Amino acid sequence: MALCNENAPILVNEEAGCNIWLMTVVAPEIAAAARPGQFVHVRVPGMDDHILRRPLGIYATDAEAGTVDMMYQVLGFGTDRMTALVPGDAVELIGAIGRGWQPPAGCKRALVVAGGVGSAPLYPLVEELKASGAEVTAVLGASTIDALVARERYGAALGCEPACSTDDGTFGRAGFCTPLVEEALTAAEAAGEPYDYVACCGPEPLMRIVAAMAADAGVFCEVSLERRMACGVGACLSCVVDTVAGKRRACVDGPVFPASEVVW
Amino acid sequence: MQRSPKETSVKLAVNLGGLAMKNPVTTASGTFGAGREYHDFVDVAALGAVTTKGVSLNGWEGNASPRIAETASGMLNSIGLQNPGVAHLKEAELPWLAEQGATAMVNVSGHSFDEYVAVIEALEEAPVAAYEVNISCPNVDAGGMTMGCHGPSVEKVVSMCRAATKRPLIVKLTPNVTDVAEIARAAEAAGADAISLINTLLGMAIDARTRTPKLARVVGGFSGPAVKPVALRMVWQVAQAVKVPVLGMGGISTGEDAVEFMLAGATAVAVGTANFVNPTATVDVIDGVIDYCEEQGVADVNELIGALTC
Repeated sequence: MALCNENAPILVNEEAGCNIWLMTVVAPEIAAAARPGQFVHVRVPGMDDHILRRPLGIYATDAEAGTVDMMYQVLGFGTDRMTALVPGDAVELIGAIGRGWQPPAGCKRALVVAGGVGSAPLYPLVEELKASGAEVTAVLGASTIDALVARERYGAALGCEPACSTDDGTFGRAGFCTPLVEEALTAAEAAGEPYDYVACCGPEPLMRIVAAMAADAGVFCEVSLERRMACGVGACLSCVVDTVAGKRRACVDGPVFPASEVVW
Repeated sequence: MQRSPKETSVKLAVNLGGLAMKNPVTTASGTFGAGREYHDFVDVAALGAVTTKGVSLNGWEGNASPRIAETASGMLNSIGLQNPGVAHLKEAELPWLAEQGATAMVNVSGHSFDEYVAVIEALEEAPVAAYEVNISCPNVDAGGMTMGCHGPSVEKVVSMCRAATKRPLIVKLTPNVTDVAEIARAAEAAGADAISLINTLLGMAIDARTRTPKLARVVGGFSGPAVKPVALRMVWQVAQAVKVPVLGMGGISTGEDAVEFMLAGATAVAVGTANFVNPTATVDVIDGVIDYCEEQGVADVNELIGALTC
């Protein structure tokens, strides 16, 4: 699919909780082309002295309405500047970029693990897996209840509550989400219905631990990696990831990699 | 969505030391891959030339991450000339560029004098219009800038490359020297057909909160709009110091930026970091040069070269 650079008018830009924002923009070409796990490279207006684009995972698309949803956590100048944008402003998006999630053919039972805003690029995968008839378990981890911003959307797609954890114990299991992952893997194994796919996106230590758990359980696992990025189209080699096949680009060789290929 | 420059009656063709360019705009090596990465956005055949990412004989892994940091109106990079080696360029990228009808200039890198020559020798049968000898990369421990800061080693590597090819030989200089004119004269004396500059300025960024450098290699190459005044000054100095043409670059993101470099003495220009911000920057720069010429009654872009009034 050819990449395009769309000027995308903003329809919605609001805080969902805990410095995590949701932005909906009109970008029909990207909305039609995007595959689960791909991202857009965002040029934020009004910050000419901060020249680089910001890569953001695609949270949801509506091909009919031509819209793209992005979730972003305010972490630096660019994302802070994004919060000042209002409907009627526009951002420029290159997309849809990268190798997305590639569950094994005929995937029947998937475990999806999201830490923080990692819930965004996993959401389209959940939708796709559910549509294909696969059983999907979702584990969402966040710092606190208000940061579990994707919980309702996940619940609607799954038809049941996702398993949640919060670091401060304000919702779901208290602590990190890794015990929930371990329990899900063990329970599926014990029931004789093991998962055939684990997908994880979140802080890198979480992905490393989940990848190790999946490897122990003998389940194919993919992770979505994030690096500082300049071009976003594979030219500049800024965003490389250490893999068993050498340094590969997070933007176009990833962002999703089979976990077994990543050198942590 | 692929863009080409607008139609115009302005004559845009320039000759950069024997390299015939249909317009004065090429890409700065390392910012455009080998063209394919940007082909969804711009017709690579419509550019004056595509300058490919620096290539070494057997491929280099490059530096550790993080490799970039954003700075005020610019960025630092320390990629370290990661490349898969000259065989891959020759087998995969150059045939593709030739198929598109693009003019290819290959940026040649090496850790030793002999490696530069070996890369050129490996490409002599390939569809290459010109070589750009990279003696200016600040991000490698051997070769690169270490070679380009010292007159005698500049003369040596350029003469060796000169002996290896009859194709146009462009020598890319680093700004990280005391007297860039002296280095340019050394390159010219050793047989360079043109001089390109500037490569990136050696810089550094620090995260005060973590008290660590923002780049894994601590220092890196500074580029982007912030460096344009330094680049203009050096292009102007070099254009006065040598008789061979100059390929100017450093912070160019608009047609007017390009015109300024030509007025300072550049025969052609390269668009670098701007590609990361705007994937159609190359074509936008060409269109901007056309707009300027039409508005100013310039019939031939060659009229602009060195036309600065001081």
